[in-house]
Amino acid sequence: MSGASDVSSNPRGIPRSPFVERVEDYVSEAEPVEVVLKKFQEAISKYKFMEVNLLQRRKVLEEKIPEIEKTVAMVKLLVEKQDNAEPLHTDFELNDTLYAQAKIEPSGTVYLWLGANVMLEYKFEEAIDLLTSKLDTAQGSLKNTIEDLAFLRDQITTMEVNTARVYNWDVKQRRDRKKESA
Amino acid sequence: MSEPQQVNLQDLDLPALQQVKAQLEEELNHLTQSYTKLKGVQGRFRDCAESVEAMNGEKADDKQILVPLTSSLYVPGKLSNVEKVIVDIGTGYYVEKSIDDASKFYNEKVNYVKENLATLEKSITDKQNSLRAIVSVMQDKLQEQQKEAKK
Repeated sequence: MSGASDVSSNPRGIPRSPFVERVEDYVSEAEPVEVVLKKFQEAISKYKFMEVNLLQRRKVLEEKIPEIEKTVAMVKLLVEKQDNAEPLHTDFELNDTLYAQAKIEPSGTVYLWLGANVMLEYKFEEAIDLLTSKLDTAQGSLKNTIEDLAFLRDQITTMEVNTARVYNWDVKQRRDRKKESA
Repeated sequence: MSEPQQVNLQDLDLPALQQVKAQLEEELNHLTQSYTKLKGVQGRFRDCAESVEAMNGEKADDKQILVPLTSSLYVPGKLSNVEKVIVDIGTGYYVEKSIDDASKFYNEKVNYVKENLATLEKSITDKQNSLRAIVSVMQDKLQEQQKEAKK
C-alpha cells in the first residue's frame, strides 16, 4: 500500500496517492497545516466519487454479462436445431405478463438488437462471433473495474492515514511550541 | 390516525402542530407514490389487453413476425397459435387461456386497479384537506404569537 514509487504507471489513469513519510516535507511556511489538510480532504472526496462511479459501472456489467451469455446459448441452440431442418415451436413474450406461441423455421440468420434503435441481421457464425466478443469485452471491463475499486480503496486508506499523520504532527508541534514558550 | 377536529387543533401549540404537519406530509408522500405505481400497473394491464385484441385479428402461419428469444436476440418466425395465449396470473403460475378469456382477465384487472385508485385518491384528498387545515391553524397561531411579542 505504501511507497510512492511502486508502480510508475497507474491503472487507467487513477493518480496514486503518496504516503507521507516526513510531514515536514509537505508542511512549510507557504503551505500551513490547514492548507495541506484541505488538499488531502479534497483528494479523498475525489477518490470516493470515483469509487461510487465504479460501483455503479460494476453493477451494470454484472447484470449485462448473464444476458449476453443467455443470448450466446440461444444462438448455439438454434444452430443445432438448424441441422434438424424442422421448425421450432416456442412461447415468446408478447407483453409483460402475456406469452404467445410461435413457429420458428430455420433460416440461417438471427437478428441482434445492438441498442440505440439499431437491429442487424447476422448469420449464425457471425452472430456467435459478435456475441462472444461482446461477452469478452464485458468480462474484461468487469475485471478492470474490480481492480480499480480495490486500488481506490487502498488510495483512500492511504490518504486518510496521511491526514491523521499530518494532524498528529501538527498537534505535537503546537504542544512543543507551548512548552518552549512556557 | 383519525381526523383531528378543529377543537383539538386549536389546543395544540406550534411545535406539536409542526409534528402533525410533518407526519401528514410523509403519509401524503407514500400515498402519492403508491398512486403513481398503481397507475403504471394499470397502464401495463391495459397494454396486455390491447396485445390480446391484436392477436384476435391475426391468422396462424400467416405473416412473418420477429420472435424475441432473449432481450437482444430475435428470430424470424410465424404465429402458430392464435386461439390461446399464456397469461402470468402471479405467484409463479402461468395459465393458458383463450383470447376471450385472456381479454376478460386483463380487463377485470384494469377495473380492479381502477377501483383501488379511486379509493386511494379519496384518501389523498382527505389528507390534503387535513394538511391545509393544519397549515391555516398554524398561520393563525403564528400571527397571535407575533401580536403577543409586540405587546
